Amino acid sequence: MSARTRRLAAFTGAIAALAVALSSCSAASSGGGGGGASGSDSSEPGTGGTAVGFIMVGPKDDFGYNQAVYDGSEIIKKKFPDLKVITAENVPEDDNAARTMEQMIDKGAKIIFATSYGHLDAAVQVAKDHPDVVVIQQGNTITDTVEPNMGTYFGTVYEPMYLAGIAAGKATKSDKLGYVYAFPIPQTIANINAFERGAQSVNPDAETITVSTSSWCDPAKQRSAADSLLSQGVDVITQHQDCTKTVIEAAEAKGAMTVGYHADASSLAPKGWITGAVWNWGPLYTDIVQTIVDGKFVGSEYNANYRVGYKTGENPFVLAPYGKVVDAQTKAAIETAKAFLSTATGSPFVGPVIAQDGSIAVAAGKVPTYAEVDGMNYFVKGVIGKLSS
Amino acid sequence: MTTTLPAPRSEAPLPVAPPEAPASDRGARLAQATVRWIAALGGAFLIFSALLISKNANPLTVYTDAWNSTFARQQSIEDIVIKMAPFVLAALAVVVPARAGMANVGGEGQVIIGAVAACGTAMAVGDALPGVTVMVLMMLAGMVAGALWAGIAGAMRLLLKVNEAVTTLLLNYVALDVLLFLIYQPWRADPTGQPATKELQTAAKLPLLAGTTVNVGIVIAVIAVVLVWIALSFTTWGFSLSVVGGNAEAARRAGLPVAKLLLSALLVGGALAGLAGMVHFAGVEYKLRPGFGAQIGYTAFLASWLARHKPIPVLLACFVFAALTVAGDSLQLDAGLPAATVNILTGLILIAVLGWTTSTRKANS
Amino acid sequence: MSLVVDVLAGGVRGGTSIMYAGLGETVSERSGVINLGTEGAMLVGALAGYAVTAETGSPWIGALGGAAAGALLASIHALLVVVRKANQFASGLTLLFLALGVTSFYGSDYVGKSINPFTKWDVPGLSDIPWIGEIFFQNDPLIYVSYVAVPLIWFVLFRTRMGLLVRTAGERSDSLTVNGYSVERIRSAAVIAGGALSGLGGAHLSIAYANAWFENMVVGRGFIAVALVIFASWSPLRVMGGAYLFGSALALAPALQARGYGVNQFALDVIPFVLTLLVLAVLGKRTLAAAPDELKRVFENAPAKT
Repeated sequence: MSARTRRLAAFTGAIAALAVALSSCSAASSGGGGGGASGSDSSEPGTGGTAVGFIMVGPKDDFGYNQAVYDGSEIIKKKFPDLKVITAENVPEDDNAARTMEQMIDKGAKIIFATSYGHLDAAVQVAKDHPDVVVIQQGNTITDTVEPNMGTYFGTVYEPMYLAGIAAGKATKSDKLGYVYAFPIPQTIANINAFERGAQSVNPDAETITVSTSSWCDPAKQRSAADSLLSQGVDVITQHQDCTKTVIEAAEAKGAMTVGYHADASSLAPKGWITGAVWNWGPLYTDIVQTIVDGKFVGSEYNANYRVGYKTGENPFVLAPYGKVVDAQTKAAIETAKAFLSTATGSPFVGPVIAQDGSIAVAAGKVPTYAEVDGMNYFVKGVIGKLSS
Repeated sequence: MTTTLPAPRSEAPLPVAPPEAPASDRGARLAQATVRWIAALGGAFLIFSALLISKNANPLTVYTDAWNSTFARQQSIEDIVIKMAPFVLAALAVVVPARAGMANVGGEGQVIIGAVAACGTAMAVGDALPGVTVMVLMMLAGMVAGALWAGIAGAMRLLLKVNEAVTTLLLNYVALDVLLFLIYQPWRADPTGQPATKELQTAAKLPLLAGTTVNVGIVIAVIAVVLVWIALSFTTWGFSLSVVGGNAEAARRAGLPVAKLLLSALLVGGALAGLAGMVHFAGVEYKLRPGFGAQIGYTAFLASWLARHKPIPVLLACFVFAALTVAGDSLQLDAGLPAATVNILTGLILIAVLGWTTSTRKANS
Repeated sequence: MSLVVDVLAGGVRGGTSIMYAGLGETVSERSGVINLGTEGAMLVGALAGYAVTAETGSPWIGALGGAAAGALLASIHALLVVVRKANQFASGLTLLFLALGVTSFYGSDYVGKSINPFTKWDVPGLSDIPWIGEIFFQNDPLIYVSYVAVPLIWFVLFRTRMGLLVRTAGERSDSLTVNGYSVERIRSAAVIAGGALSGLGGAHLSIAYANAWFENMVVGRGFIAVALVIFASWSPLRVMGGAYLFGSALALAPALQARGYGVNQFALDVIPFVLTLLVLAVLGKRTLAAAPDELKRVFENAPAKT
């Protein structure tokens, strides 16, 4: 075949394709007022849809964060048989997230859960383009004005991490605790600080050494991080990673103890399991979806940066079952602390809170609000590791 | 557009091109090639169908859903066109050096460096200048940075005789680490939170084509295709590159400045890839993030091969790759398959085209 | 001192998967075929190793499964570039895409599944040697296998008839043809053997090092292996040293962080690539002189002599 004919054919094809693309573009009406909503009775955002979408940053069966989201979406499937539940895994935290959400909207979704911290930008963009769709984001905070069809929600995961810190502080023999984390986002910083303060509350000598992997899930880097911590004499390891198996097994193999995160992984560490913060999104997801389909979203507590903790009840985080290493005295101490956190002035960060550099971060007697904890940008004293790494 | 029709090409045949076959032969060969392509692509789809069946997915449903949500939906088509623009530019970055017989495997890194330069420029000038000026500066910065990045490989080839395929490949990872280093520390917008740069000022974002979500990147890409096609087919420079690509030794003996030609091809290639990075940054992402531009360079490298390193077919090849990416969404949302499943189809199609659409005799030339 | 031991021990443990892949790439390139699909071979090796271990309960069988999967993927490369004469770079990258897709497609069943992995085994006596013991002899069995594999591969390549054939295919393939050997067969065998080693490297990652399978878990280690082969100028022994060096560079960031230092990890991650570029720049012609001649032809885009 001559180069010329082939080139001609390919070129014509390309131009045709482009023409199709551009001509169909010219008829555009990008987003905006109620595209496919079958003229439903109400103009409330999020109503009249046939589906609910969930986007996740990792695989739905990661023994961790995304699995918890998926389990929550399964509850929605059961509770709302009329709504189709569409899930998308491994959605990166860039423009692809917006594209995936758009596709879900096209398939009838009027409610979208964007469940990773880094999905916020895309979620805001989609919400602005589709005022008829409610987009809610898990774990981040909107610092600008919250659109009437947006919101963020999260639980005070640092509270159970504080309780787990108590267990870790009691269990450690070397007084060195290890923390493997991904990125220094406020959520993670609050967890690390709460864990260290929980440990300090029962063991003033306890310190928490931190190592970041710069990835939500890179098992080989996790192994390397765990090895480094263990060789420093750490005997309790916990983590803020989406996939948690590698770190737990590395600790167990070296005879160290583990505090879990996201999921009950006691089966992975029969000897060293202490406890962990475990998610139970079902009830909160159900309530959010119910509020939206009832047309009551705008102005509701979910149309904001919603936070739920021990004092508001229904914390989506529960403490995982205790392992063998936790004795009765420790369990009692945890119960006492939990009762304290459930009071109006209870918090892991009741002042004085002293930051790593010795400055006073929270004045004596002061109780920081949820929002203040969400903005935490310092490590407390006793945490080893630099934040800006 | 009509001026770009390849008609004049036959009047100025390149010496390295195979001699034109007599017309009678041509029809037969065209038919043969068509059969080859259909058989190869059919095979790829057949194997993919078998894999789908192995996962209890009905191939017919999967293909229908994918087709409908990819081509029967305006937003999807716009998405394809948006995705296509950086692919096309980065593929041209392979086409130009390939004409001189060089393999630029470094598109991945040149795209990133182009975006880094564009972002750095936007941060440096801030809001002081009008948006259009910032855009032009970003474009220039992206192209210069991409060219310099490729130029490292060019210099190593000319001065040290180190092959460019090796160096461009290595430089990809250096570029990636440069990007990550910058967004983790010096350029980080927020000391806490996930690492990313500040969002590009609104005025400097690439404008959209009227009434669509498509940025002007595609227009830049199409213009680049036409310019590259003209440069390669109708200029002395393009002609000389083909001679060098055909036989560098003979070119040297004929008195062509081989070193300069090789370097210029790599620089132009790098500039095009840098431009791709700028378009992706200022047209789509607006921020540098850890996964920025991932696989644009490699996808474009393969697109260029699919198009046999010819500028105009590159448009079609990139359209196919962009469409496959968008179709991947449907595999996940409709069929519940992992999103990366579409990579299997991409791989199978490439294997079919690379291995079975040309006779083995000329495939490697 | 403990920092040095930590980093070196981390280098051996984390560098071994890169070493296996580097050895595989060395064998392949010695025969005149470059395979940029090493990353893909590691991915399928990681998944197959994990899946087979999960199904059979034996990490040894799992390791073989990983090697087999790597070999299978590489056989496509052999078919494309050796038999069908397709471009080597394009074919390798194609296999990367294919592997990403296949492992994600079949891998979702194994994410989060528990296995019985390789466990650390201290070599009696040797593991007690100060420093050396901690670095080299308190590791998993696949690392010990690599201590044997490296000299063995060197021996086969440079001291046996089989190795001579492979090297001749990479240096002067026409002389093989003259003597009645099939260059295609020799090259295919080398590429497939190389794929098996890369697959084994991937399996080391999933069933001995991280004990987990996750989508795209190799994240660039296959490309580090490609750089490693050049860094080591196609010598299996130097591949071993280079793998430990690169592995140590990767282990340095967490080791420093665990001691309270702030580190920008990416300034360290770049070391393998910059070192390789520097070696090329400084040794330039000398490094390239070590490259198999037929490989140079591939680089120079000249038609292969077969």
